[in-house]
Amino acid sequence: MIDALFNWLDDRLGISGSGRKMLNKIFPDHWSFLIGEIALYSFIVLLGTGVFLTLYFVPSSKDVIYEGSYAPLRGQPVSEAFASTLNLSFAVRGGLLMRQMHHWAANIFVGSIVVHMLRVFFTGAFRRPRELNWIVGSTLLILAIFNGFLGYSLPDDLVSGTGIRISFSIVESIPLIGSYMAFFLFGGNFPGNSIIPRFFILHVLILPAIMVGLLSAHLGLLVRQKHTQFPGRDNTPRNVVGAPLWPTFVAKTTGFLLLIVAVTAGLSALFQINPVWLYGPYVPYKVSYAVQPDWYMGWLDGALRIMPSWEIVGFGHMIPNVFFPAILLPGITFGVLQLWPFIEARLTHDYADHQILDRPRDRPKRTAFGAAVFSFYFVLFGASATDVLANYLSISLNVVLTSFRFLAIIVPLIVFPVTYRICKEMQAVPTAGQRKRANIVMRSAEGGYTTVPAEERPGDAVPRIVPMPLDEDIEFVPEMAGVLVGSDGTVVGDGGAAGNGGAAGNGGATGDGAPGESSPPAPTGDDRPRGGVFKVPRVYR
Amino acid sequence: MPEDTGTPTPSPEPGEQPRRLRIPVASARADAPQFQIAAGNPRRAERLAASGFVLAAAGFAGFGASYWQNYSNFWLAITLAVGFAGLGYGMVVWAKFLMPRGPFSESRHSVAPTPAQREMFIDDFASRGKVAVERRSLLVKTLGLASGILGVVLAFPLLRSLGPLPGTTLRKTAWRRGAYLVDITGRKIKTDDLEVGGFITVFPPDDIGGAYSQTMLIRVDPPPVSGYLTPPPQFAEQRATWAPQGYIAFSKVCTHAGCPVGLYEELTKKMLCPCHQSLFDVTDAAIPIFGPAPRPLPQLPLYIDEEGYFRAQDGYDEPVGPGYWERGND
Amino acid sequence: MTRPHALWRGLLVSLALVVSASFVGVFLLGGGRDDLSLASSSADVAAASLTSRDSPTDASQLAAGRTLFVENCSTCHGISAEGGDRAPPLLGIGGATVDLWLSSGWMPLAEPSAEPVRKPAKFDRAQVLEIVRYVTSLVPSTGNPGIPFGLDISHADVAEGFSLFALNCAPCHTITGAGDALADGIQAPPLHGVTKTMVWEAIRTGPGNMPRFGPGTLSPAQVVDIVGYVVKNIQHPVSPGGFSLGGVGPVAEGFVGLFVGVGACLLAALWIGDRSEGGQEEDNDGHEDHDGHEDPDGDQDAHHGDDPRELAHA
Repeated sequence: MIDALFNWLDDRLGISGSGRKMLNKIFPDHWSFLIGEIALYSFIVLLGTGVFLTLYFVPSSKDVIYEGSYAPLRGQPVSEAFASTLNLSFAVRGGLLMRQMHHWAANIFVGSIVVHMLRVFFTGAFRRPRELNWIVGSTLLILAIFNGFLGYSLPDDLVSGTGIRISFSIVESIPLIGSYMAFFLFGGNFPGNSIIPRFFILHVLILPAIMVGLLSAHLGLLVRQKHTQFPGRDNTPRNVVGAPLWPTFVAKTTGFLLLIVAVTAGLSALFQINPVWLYGPYVPYKVSYAVQPDWYMGWLDGALRIMPSWEIVGFGHMIPNVFFPAILLPGITFGVLQLWPFIEARLTHDYADHQILDRPRDRPKRTAFGAAVFSFYFVLFGASATDVLANYLSISLNVVLTSFRFLAIIVPLIVFPVTYRICKEMQAVPTAGQRKRANIVMRSAEGGYTTVPAEERPGDAVPRIVPMPLDEDIEFVPEMAGVLVGSDGTVVGDGGAAGNGGAAGNGGATGDGAPGESSPPAPTGDDRPRGGVFKVPRVYR
Repeated sequence: MPEDTGTPTPSPEPGEQPRRLRIPVASARADAPQFQIAAGNPRRAERLAASGFVLAAAGFAGFGASYWQNYSNFWLAITLAVGFAGLGYGMVVWAKFLMPRGPFSESRHSVAPTPAQREMFIDDFASRGKVAVERRSLLVKTLGLASGILGVVLAFPLLRSLGPLPGTTLRKTAWRRGAYLVDITGRKIKTDDLEVGGFITVFPPDDIGGAYSQTMLIRVDPPPVSGYLTPPPQFAEQRATWAPQGYIAFSKVCTHAGCPVGLYEELTKKMLCPCHQSLFDVTDAAIPIFGPAPRPLPQLPLYIDEEGYFRAQDGYDEPVGPGYWERGND
Repeated sequence: MTRPHALWRGLLVSLALVVSASFVGVFLLGGGRDDLSLASSSADVAAASLTSRDSPTDASQLAAGRTLFVENCSTCHGISAEGGDRAPPLLGIGGATVDLWLSSGWMPLAEPSAEPVRKPAKFDRAQVLEIVRYVTSLVPSTGNPGIPFGLDISHADVAEGFSLFALNCAPCHTITGAGDALADGIQAPPLHGVTKTMVWEAIRTGPGNMPRFGPGTLSPAQVVDIVGYVVKNIQHPVSPGGFSLGGVGPVAEGFVGLFVGVGACLLAALWIGDRSEGGQEEDNDGHEDHDGHEDPDGDQDAHHGDDPRELAHA
């Protein structure tokens, strides 16, 4: 039955041809390569829960009298957006679950993008030929942050509405065009009636459409250029070692998707997020204390708080105070971020292709620089909680603020040399981070000490299996008098032919463990030993 | 080219794909170490994975029951979480321990083309394209003209239709000379409505609840001897009569980023903005003494009419709220 | 390529760390603290049932109050409540103020130079009332509010109260009543664990840096509405979504989202994926780069990379 269906489709679509390549596509296995998938799958959760929410949310600023089940708001004028959010939370079965999963998934989404970006940065995966993918990814980060801000502003509650007021002031602060852009964006002066519907369509249609497009480009580039891999015995710049798409990777990644949904659902069970009914509707002359934005906007809020009260006034014009921390700082941040591959290439004079990743310790300057810059933004992020910290640590708010101003400068200056030294130290100890063989200390009768290495523990002995190549120009046969062939089809066993076409043999892809072998494998440029038991036929092109 | 080792290999026909030796391969692969599963105890691994799936089934069934019975969010979410966790666990155990352990590899061919390929591409592009545009500069230029104008005028509906021009909107609030100070219910405020150390949010009667006209009326002190609170030296002349009987009024819109400055510290006589903690000294013309705010809060000049109601002498003498390019030194 | 023991141990340690971090985080930032209010509301009922007023009626009660005052308050506030260097005068201050400062535990101070902080009241309700009666007996009533005996919030309009709370109280106490730090070391305290009487008294007397809301600013009905909202909804917030994380909003949510959420996903990634090959015997000693060329100082200034020309097929 399935065969018949498959044949029917295959006749019309030709899956067997190109599909075989997809089946055999190799995905390197390292755990840090899965961080991007956290982002991808939390995005899927966002899309799924988001569709549910759009069926109930009303993106309108029109005032209605709330007549729902939440008593402290009954009879009060609220916007339809706020009322529909309360309706979702209290009256729609499963509505609160969807709202919470959506919001937790958004936090995980942006968080995993940042961790993924750090992984790519510290391992140098952004170098040629992957600069484009880095730019696509950085743009995705910016859009994710912005879309998150739009999303949590939609319920039009007191806390997020204050954030919208601040965003009006930020747009307004842009020189030359600021007041025009603010009025265009809001359809008039603040608050107006247009901002919630416009945020809505940006949040559910325009930005997600762009993000889906960029995500497809991101994954497409990844498929085309193939994933990078860490240095290892069988990893060369000319191969990709790992698990094939079918069945291993499909199963692993599906399992990962399910686990991420489980984490999101678990958070939604245990921790309440964005209880807008406790905040009440946004009213322009009301405000609460402890009004931080969501964490991924925290660095902006912190920058706004610790910025000294400078303002440039002259010749009848003004560059307002908020321009510097809220426009200039993010502009420089994202500009340098997007251009980083080119900046680093210029600084290191390294314009070559790179398919093998760096271990962070092997590039101490880049690692230290990245850690220092990250620590700067981390301090800004911490600075957004000045009042909450002052409260819980019982320190004067003034002291906390001044401290953060110093920390923003001093912490990166300390982090850089410390990280540099740590990298250097780890380089000097090649087995740093690896489990060591235990030593048994024995004392002789005379009182002298000797040490003997302990026996290998079960986990220490790792069976060495060489990767089996799945290139489409190789077919396997059960038995052949041994001839060794490289992955490009040239015969290795003859020696000299290895230089044919320039593609050196795949490390360890072929083996000659069987008896009766006619000739040992010729060197292909490195001396790595080979293993494995299968043989490949001679293939010609 | 590979050497002949005695195995007959047919040559391809012209135009055909290179043929490969096609021999059933299942038995070969079954022996390969890469095809073995990783589990030392496959039965155990299978049982673990299966128990995950069973747990998932129970979880999802529980979700169904919770939904049917309209149980709380906790039950809906935890059953869903258990369900997905079990499913995911089982999947991953299956993948890690009961599938071909690998590793496998494939060749990494450079994406970059050979010089020959690139040349051919450019040649195809340029040679036919050349026919189209060579000596057709009139066409190209007129196309450019039309496209350019289209690009420019597209900005009109995309941008300009979005909203009105700011004009002078930001420069003035709804406060006028003689306007009563009313609270959010429209009640006019008179002297002794506030205690010493009290405050109230007020508006002009024709803009109650207005985002820009919101004002903090504060009773700072008991009635001073001179009848007015003393302004700081730089405003001594201008604001001498602005704060009658110990009352003072400042714009509630923070000059930093526009949040309502609703926090009044009664003893220290300071207003604190909750958003970014700018601190304004009420006894010193609300000059910011701490935090990021760059300018003092504008002060509303007050007088008390013969019935005892508070009224504005005039509107604010400067734009309220955060700065913008055209504000200059207003 | 599996190393079960190392993997599990690493996972367990990381799990323990994440769990402890989240536990500590949630512990510090707190869930709702509802028990106190339940306890105090019973004391509140007791207070409301008393029928005595501020004016002294019983000489013996005045004597008891005087004794308490002399022993606990007069050191700083003067033997006749006239004040001194360290403390303001209490003459004519009104019963509500005295009651609030004593019930909240702000007074007596732990030591003369300490800041007033919320702590368990030193005196029981009867003793507080005795002190109040004594202090208010020293001068005739000045119009400052007395204790609101018989305060009835059963008909409080919590919706009105919420709206007024958001306008007048939330800027300092936060919209969820969690409290927060003002400038110069001043704190707006959390509103959990307070009685309706204390809330009423605080609104009307404006203790410390809290502004004062008299009858001209908030009518008696409006104060009842606010008290009703605080006692009912601030202290027993509707939290169907789970732990309320202290009511401080995105700060706590971000903490949980990153450490618990992303952390759990990273743990799953650690389980699903492989570790680096670092543990296996290396052919090189870590100083060779991937092409087998030596790079002793480990800085990998590989100016050559993977030449794309080499990779192209003929």
